[in-house]
Amino acid sequence: MTTRGASRVVLVVALFVVVQQTLVLDLRIGGVHPDIMVLLPILAGIIGGPSRGAAMGFVAGLAADLFLPTPFGLSALVATLVGFAVGEATLAVDRTAVWLPVVAALGGSALYEVVYAVLGSVLGQPQMLHTDVLRIVVVVSVANAVLAVPAMRVVNWALPVASTEGVPTSPLSSGASR
Amino acid sequence: MASPRRYRRPRTTLLILVLASVTIITLDARGGFHRITSGVRSVAADAFSPIRGGIDDIIEPIGSFLAGSVHYGAVRQQNQKLQAEINQLEQQKASQQDIDQQMQQLTALLDLPFLGNLQTVPAEVTNFGSSNFAATIDISVGRNQGVQPNMPVVGSTGPAGQGGLVGQVVIADHNSSTVRLVTDGQSAVGVRLDSGPDAGLLAVLSGQGAGKPLSADLIPANAVLANGDIFSTSGVPGASYPMGIPVAKVVAHRIGLTSSQESVSLVPLADLTQLRYVSVVLWGPST
Repeated sequence: MTTRGASRVVLVVALFVVVQQTLVLDLRIGGVHPDIMVLLPILAGIIGGPSRGAAMGFVAGLAADLFLPTPFGLSALVATLVGFAVGEATLAVDRTAVWLPVVAALGGSALYEVVYAVLGSVLGQPQMLHTDVLRIVVVVSVANAVLAVPAMRVVNWALPVASTEGVPTSPLSSGASR
Repeated sequence: MASPRRYRRPRTTLLILVLASVTIITLDARGGFHRITSGVRSVAADAFSPIRGGIDDIIEPIGSFLAGSVHYGAVRQQNQKLQAEINQLEQQKASQQDIDQQMQQLTALLDLPFLGNLQTVPAEVTNFGSSNFAATIDISVGRNQGVQPNMPVVGSTGPAGQGGLVGQVVIADHNSSTVRLVTDGQSAVGVRLDSGPDAGLLAVLSGQGAGKPLSADLIPANAVLANGDIFSTSGVPGASYPMGIPVAKVVAHRIGLTSSQESVSLVPLADLTQLRYVSVVLWGPST
């Protein structure tokens, strides 16, 4: 990745952190707030494939961990896994499909929250499984599905060159990347 | 033969990043590295504090303007001018009530009887929980004001107005702190029964998650309890809290058929949903 590309990624991660910490935290639905940081690895996985999804997950997760009382590095670990999983799962799909970010945000966010609660519990935070995980999954997944399309434009700006990782993408996507 | 080569790099990347994450988690949990992560967290918190304040300042007037516009449209069919005046008066009244409420909380904080001679630092609650998986609040004071991790935090609001324990500082940044509420699943408070035939009975109150009642452990099945009984911090040697801070009152208790302990549900005396100001008690187990 070039310096310019890395700068864009840092800018986008910083933007998401600011929005999450200033606006999104105050939006409570049933006591649960959305988590837009989860969108970054999911959308990066769609755009750039498993490697970029994982890398974006690591960076975004570490940034999120700075503001969380849960174990430092837990968000980075889970976001890395989710970014990779979404990248793998969408390799064979037309990445330009409009529905893809929405569905991936829905499923990826649910996966993230469940894995986060389970791994947190394993790492000495048993209360994480005693919280209302289902409610958290529903709120975060639905909110991220709604925000997926506009967020996709922002992440696309940060990761403009689509990584095919040897797997054919749609003609439109391939054309755009070359 | 192309496929294995194609997938080698993503999996290598994944492996490296997962190992890096696990290493960070392990090092942070073991202490030495924790100072570095705490320092980075402090810097991040300090950097975001003014940004958050500035954005709040921008958003609040916009929200008020939009709310006012919606309200104005709804009453247009009636008498616009009269209704606008009523709205203005109501806003003034609401604003005054808000100020009165803040004053009441602040005044009450200065006069919490259970604190005795303990030194405190008043703080504003700036944020309710940055994680969906932990019951925490962020407050406006930190190490620069003398706050340290593990210090108790008390609040003045509550069902009976007497206030009580809110939680414990878990992260102290330069000018802000994170407080783990007593309802958090990680919270455990050593307490003593204040009154009744079994006054002095020791127990441990455990959090069950935000909005859920506390549960009491170590209460024998033959203990005499009544709804409304209050538990306060025990202050036994080595305790994490000074003695005598009211924590919670009993709302339900029953003895299981095969249990040797009583199952007790309690609600915190501090109203954790209405917190605007709290006091950090400048106390540690060694003080």
